[in-house]
Amino acid sequence: MGHYGFYFAIILVYGAVDSMACLGLNLQFGVAGISNFGYIIFQSVGAYTAAVLSMPNAKGSNGGFQQYVLGWHLPWPFPWIGAAIVGGLLAIPFVFLVGKRLRGDFAAVGLLVSAVLLNLLVTNYVPLFNGAAGISLVPPPFQSKWNTQGLAYQFSYGAVAVILTIGVYFLVKRVTESPYGRSLRAMRDNDIVADSLGKDLRLQRTSVLILGGMIAALSGAILVGFITLWSPGAWGYAETIVLFAAIIIGGAGNHKGAVLGALIVPLGFEEITRYLPAVGNPELVPALEWVAIGLLIVLFLWFRPDGILPERRRILSGNKNAPEPEPTKSDDETDALIKIGNVDQLNFRELLRLGEPVNDNRVILSTTGLTKTFNSVTVVSDVTIAIHQGRLTGMIGPNGAGKSTTLAMLAGTLPPTSGQIFYEGRDITSMPSNKRALAGMVRTFQLASEFKKLTVLENLVSAIPNQSGDSFFGSLRGKRFWGAEDRGNIERAKEVLEGFGLSQYADAYAGGLSGGQRRLVEIMRALLAEPKVLLLDEPMAGVHPNLAHKIGDQLTRLCEGGMTIVMVEHELALMDAYCDPVIVLAEGRVLAQGTMAELRQKEEVVEAYLVG
Amino acid sequence: MSSFGFGLITAAVLAIATVGFTMQFAVTNVLNLAYGSIMINSAFVTYYVNEHGVSPWVALIGGVLTGAIASWLLNKFVYTPFQRRNLAPITVVIVSLGIDLIGTFGLQAIVGGGYVSFSQSQGHEYHFAGLILSGLQLIIFGICAVVLIGIHGLLKYTRLGKAMRATSANRNLARNSGIKTQFIISTTWLISGALCGLAGTVFAMNAGVFEATSAQQYIVLLLAAMFLGGPGEPYGAMFGAIIIGVATEVSAAYVNPQYKLVVAFVVLLGMLTFRPFGIFGSEKTN
Repeated sequence: MGHYGFYFAIILVYGAVDSMACLGLNLQFGVAGISNFGYIIFQSVGAYTAAVLSMPNAKGSNGGFQQYVLGWHLPWPFPWIGAAIVGGLLAIPFVFLVGKRLRGDFAAVGLLVSAVLLNLLVTNYVPLFNGAAGISLVPPPFQSKWNTQGLAYQFSYGAVAVILTIGVYFLVKRVTESPYGRSLRAMRDNDIVADSLGKDLRLQRTSVLILGGMIAALSGAILVGFITLWSPGAWGYAETIVLFAAIIIGGAGNHKGAVLGALIVPLGFEEITRYLPAVGNPELVPALEWVAIGLLIVLFLWFRPDGILPERRRILSGNKNAPEPEPTKSDDETDALIKIGNVDQLNFRELLRLGEPVNDNRVILSTTGLTKTFNSVTVVSDVTIAIHQGRLTGMIGPNGAGKSTTLAMLAGTLPPTSGQIFYEGRDITSMPSNKRALAGMVRTFQLASEFKKLTVLENLVSAIPNQSGDSFFGSLRGKRFWGAEDRGNIERAKEVLEGFGLSQYADAYAGGLSGGQRRLVEIMRALLAEPKVLLLDEPMAGVHPNLAHKIGDQLTRLCEGGMTIVMVEHELALMDAYCDPVIVLAEGRVLAQGTMAELRQKEEVVEAYLVG
Repeated sequence: MSSFGFGLITAAVLAIATVGFTMQFAVTNVLNLAYGSIMINSAFVTYYVNEHGVSPWVALIGGVLTGAIASWLLNKFVYTPFQRRNLAPITVVIVSLGIDLIGTFGLQAIVGGGYVSFSQSQGHEYHFAGLILSGLQLIIFGICAVVLIGIHGLLKYTRLGKAMRATSANRNLARNSGIKTQFIISTTWLISGALCGLAGTVFAMNAGVFEATSAQQYIVLLLAAMFLGGPGEPYGAMFGAIIIGVATEVSAAYVNPQYKLVVAFVVLLGMLTFRPFGIFGSEKTN
């Protein structure tokens, strides 16, 4: 029994440590979409911090045979707390890499390289970390009071590790299931769109890097107190790939899946190889282990990309028993089938929290000399326009005229090469797009931009500004803090959804809808962001004509109520019916401006565009 | 000064490796992190042919073919099917890491963990302009120079090269202009794979002794050289490789040689943070 007892205690500790590490990485990768290929650094640094905080001074009682810093000889739990703090602080420099502008795979490569670099430095710089030899004789907690070799101690250690892991599980779940978690998942699915709806990507990524870093560091601290050794060789960057494999196999985005993956991959592989006979060359078994991990990653991503336990679909509508609606077929077919909702009966004023109608026709948004150059090709050239409050302004022009680029500069998605943008009298040229969204300028995109792995209802609710649960600390305060408000937001979103006739898709993943339906989701989502100025990039493309006209009527009514709308559109019939004035762009310049009737009289406009 | 000579050889090898790596990124938008594992596998194929009494310079053809075929297969049967699924770019990067593990450790499982070397002489030592280079190094340098000039000719003066450049600039537009982009992409992977195989073999020759995991950190040099010159830019890759190759070797003469990769790390992290589109590059459209 004794032998098996010790073995069981070891499994308990390793299982808890691996699970905890995977939970932290799952929060970063599975929930927030940050591919932290340097994750192992955080576990390693946490382990080292806990070691040197619990060890006596390097020059004193230890005989001075190894070099390390600190040596504060702190009692438990301070080394573990210190480890978590250092793990969190370590995340801060990495914010530069995962900041807003960098492609996800480039950032991931940067993190990977950081992991290799730090390992190289640690292995070769003796005074700080004792070089490649690593540190030994790390005192386990309560060394002086307990027999740390005894079964009782080892089991208690395992129990504490498991309890802390359960605590971490509920912590990451609390964050994930909050409105903040919804914003994190929105960022994972499409960061540019989340940014355009007012989410602060840098802040969101920072919070997740810090929390995940603290969790990883704590897991490292638990491990080092148990095995009493720390060696840089055990924390190579490939260990991060093992954790990624665990999450991909278990189910990215699902915290139970992360734990399952941790038990299968790092723990399972470690334990199975103990029982394999030594055959062939000494490298054979470990080498085959790595081959197996590589194969598992590739095969799972191909055959079961959502893992063994896929991310759970969140049913917000309250109708728990509703089956997921059938995946839709071709656009024409399904859009013709859409029950055209009661858009015309919706009370947008109340639903969208519009203020009292102020329609003073003043200039709310304007540009001077707006220019955009890509690789020395000028796409938009010297565009000076003024958008009046309460008007539905149309923007037309042939392909490549610079309409979408102009819209993107207005919304802050693209920085202009030169020129200025003014909003409500303020120069907002250098204001980031998420700040513009919060100030009331919300855009939609020409290409599909739904959050694929959020349900339709989640897509809509995620856009609502100023949610008390939509901040890191708000999410930590729990459902009691934000639950009631969130239910109210869900009700509002459901009403809008019903108005657009898409109620039956409330709990379907937005990525599974037809093109026209996704368009509608995007329009609804933009409206729920409570815009003062709505910038629509071809909103009616792929929408059933009858519905397009209903939406057009509603947009007109929104403008009467004080909203300002700028709409890029190809369909001239819609321009005729709803837009006044219309701005014509050609080859990056403003060609003309006026009502459609006026524009039809102008020869240069007709030549450039109308006749085509 | 001798470290400058070493630096030149390192840079020449790195240049052909990086040109292949960046061409793959250019036409398929894949950061192929399995590149190093194909390099070392190619080196081992050359080694085994060499073991059978064939001159290493002839055996080299085996390495080049290995690189070309393995890269082509990898793109055709792994990367392209994954990309067709419209996944986030990071998924393919994770796949490439998985392939890297399979390639590197699959090789190690077969050949074991020991170091090997080619049976070839270092040749005479040549002194000129303060540099000391072995005959072997001069041959390596010559091969790399010829290959780079060949790549320049290919890109600049042939229809194939122009089609490759068009495909990397805008794949849809290239297809609409009548370029058979699938064929161009396959050809690019064959050529870049041949460069990968060649680079792996001469890298191993230059190192003297090598084993299955010798190229594991080479990816850092590749990434640093590519991002310095701008991702997807073959000429940028040559420029980046020269800077990184020389800088790492020269720095090794002044600090602990264990730290020579640090220069590459710092350059790479700096480029990613401040100018991810390269020193000369500018933001791309779409």
